[in-house]
Amino acid sequence: MTTAPGGTNNFKVVLLGEGCVGKTSLLLRYIEDKFNDKHLTTLQATFLNKRLNIKGKRINLSIWDTAGQEKFHALGPIYYRNSNGAILVYDITDEDSFGKVKNWVKELKKMLGSDIVLIIAGNKVDLEHERTVPLEEAESYANMVGAKHYYTSAKLNQGVEELFLDLTREMLEKYEQNSQTEVNRTSQVLVVDDETPVQSSCCSGTKSN
Amino acid sequence: MNEEALLARASEERERIFQRYERGRDNLVGQIDPWEDPEFEEYHKTDRYGFIHDERLPQRTAPQKVNIEVEREKKWVKMLAHWDTPETKQKLHRRIYKGIPNSLRINTWCKLLQVNRIKFENPGKYQDMLKLGKLWSTDVRQIDSDVNRQFREHQFYRERYSEKQCALFNVLCAYSIYNSEVGYCQGMSGLAGVLLMYMDEEDAFWALAILLSDKRYAMHGLFIEGFPKLTRFLEHHDKILTKFMPKLKHHFDKFGLDAILYSLKWFFVCFVERVPFSLCLRVWDIYLLDGERVITAMAYTILKLHKKAIMKLNDMDLIVNYIQVKLHKDFGYDDDIVIYHLEKSMEELRRAKLDYPGPPPPNELPQRMLGVFVEPDKKSKIGQRAENFSETEKQTRANVILRREKAALELQELRVSQSDTVSDLNPSIGLPLHTSQATLDIHLESPIFSYVFTCRTDTQPVNYLLNKKVISKIKNRQP
Repeated sequence: MTTAPGGTNNFKVVLLGEGCVGKTSLLLRYIEDKFNDKHLTTLQATFLNKRLNIKGKRINLSIWDTAGQEKFHALGPIYYRNSNGAILVYDITDEDSFGKVKNWVKELKKMLGSDIVLIIAGNKVDLEHERTVPLEEAESYANMVGAKHYYTSAKLNQGVEELFLDLTREMLEKYEQNSQTEVNRTSQVLVVDDETPVQSSCCSGTKSN
Repeated sequence: MNEEALLARASEERERIFQRYERGRDNLVGQIDPWEDPEFEEYHKTDRYGFIHDERLPQRTAPQKVNIEVEREKKWVKMLAHWDTPETKQKLHRRIYKGIPNSLRINTWCKLLQVNRIKFENPGKYQDMLKLGKLWSTDVRQIDSDVNRQFREHQFYRERYSEKQCALFNVLCAYSIYNSEVGYCQGMSGLAGVLLMYMDEEDAFWALAILLSDKRYAMHGLFIEGFPKLTRFLEHHDKILTKFMPKLKHHFDKFGLDAILYSLKWFFVCFVERVPFSLCLRVWDIYLLDGERVITAMAYTILKLHKKAIMKLNDMDLIVNYIQVKLHKDFGYDDDIVIYHLEKSMEELRRAKLDYPGPPPPNELPQRMLGVFVEPDKKSKIGQRAENFSETEKQTRANVILRREKAALELQELRVSQSDTVSDLNPSIGLPLHTSQATLDIHLESPIFSYVFTCRTDTQPVNYLLNKKVISKIKNRQP
């Protein structure tokens, strides 16, 4: 999150999820109100910008779309670091893609804690008759991990606008809360580490003196 | 759903996808949704490579250039007729750097890749692989989705289930069986897509096979689990930046911009959709001749030519947009000039012994026999994904994190060494002198080398990255 000179708030959002769940379609629907017209391949994560106004505040979203194929998930940390929000997309007709969402939640919580706003999106509700991910299961899971859950259809343009709008609101709230509690937090250098648990004991002696 | 039902569902899906490609566009009248085809209000302009532009062509090929190419064609026709001769060997390098005439690309690429040889050594193989692919390929879904997206602004691929779309689907499905270690990996649709602009289906299949397994290109290591070759080439790329363009490297690090964010397509698909297509073809010409070194040198050349412009961009998004989008639309330099610089870069890197990160280690080369069918396990047949990262993927992930960690540390060290208030710093550890009155919060410990501290003084909290030596010094200083 950075604040540009003109008073615009910049938020970074990352779209994550299994291949073929419709990440790019959601993004194109939101940004250009088109479904599948651009036919973008997402081998390389690309981003698109959207400007909006919330509560009189000017906001610029840069939304990063990532490669969905499982092989690319190992590159995840590059894409979600410094993100303010993540949209975890699954396909309601594909229970495995929902399993992947759970993996992403675990990973993001571990790496970024509560610094990031999580949204879970069950996409392709136009295929409701083929649904295999039970409604209640998805919603109660989202609840449990503190993420909002949305049903979307990029094809029929359902739920997309709301999803992004609510995400932005939440990011803004979080940002405002943070800037109140930590008015003078400045430069941040974040080093993250995979498996080793946080070891605070080694420097407990230095905590205060 | 039980396992049997899942298996049945997966095979039904595969069958359904295959059927549509087999029938092709002409037999699918009324069955293709309008949204499956890209909207182009009309054919505005189609360039000489077949790409349809939604606006007037940015630049027409100048008439004198066309004349030069006609003259070159004559020479090339002669040369192609005497391919395996010392004269050709002698002229080839110079002529290819000048650019292969577009009408002769198909012959020349096939000769450079020795497509005919491998094709004749493996009669009937392609058809066999395709048949097996139809029965067993577990990558059909992803391939279908990517064929639906690849080069849709090109006349060959514009229409859903067009002849070339079907060919692209077939080549990728057959290859996913042929090379069971790779299967299908995103990016390969770009490679095969370009090859199919110039070759027929079977030739494109073998050309793809050579690009992956021939040591000159060794793209296998890019597409297997964990992308070991990507890691190795990126490290080398960083090394080149550090040596030749340290300010630019610093600029990237300042905005947390990892090379992965801008260079993935450079390495994976040899600059497809990252530079204008005419230039991309020129780079491919040279890549097919000289192999892996060309990618490294071109990556360096792009950044060298655009260093000034990039240094003016003070935001990660702007930089990425410039390198990924702007340079694809308009590279800003004539193709010939870029190739001139590319050749110079190759020489420059060679002198510095940085032209090549070395031959592929065994783990980047195919371990299993190519073309031998391996039945996929149940999990992948159903389309189930792994629950956890494999060891190789964990390694890659750790590597990705480490790259950022290193960059951040270097940056921090640089900041400390350039600090105006260097006299205020305790020179032995790089922390402010009044640290003793400050609170140090350790955030995370890395097994490798660095720690992060927030140093809370009376004024502002500052984060520090410190290496292990420093940590022990601080600890020893405690009362």
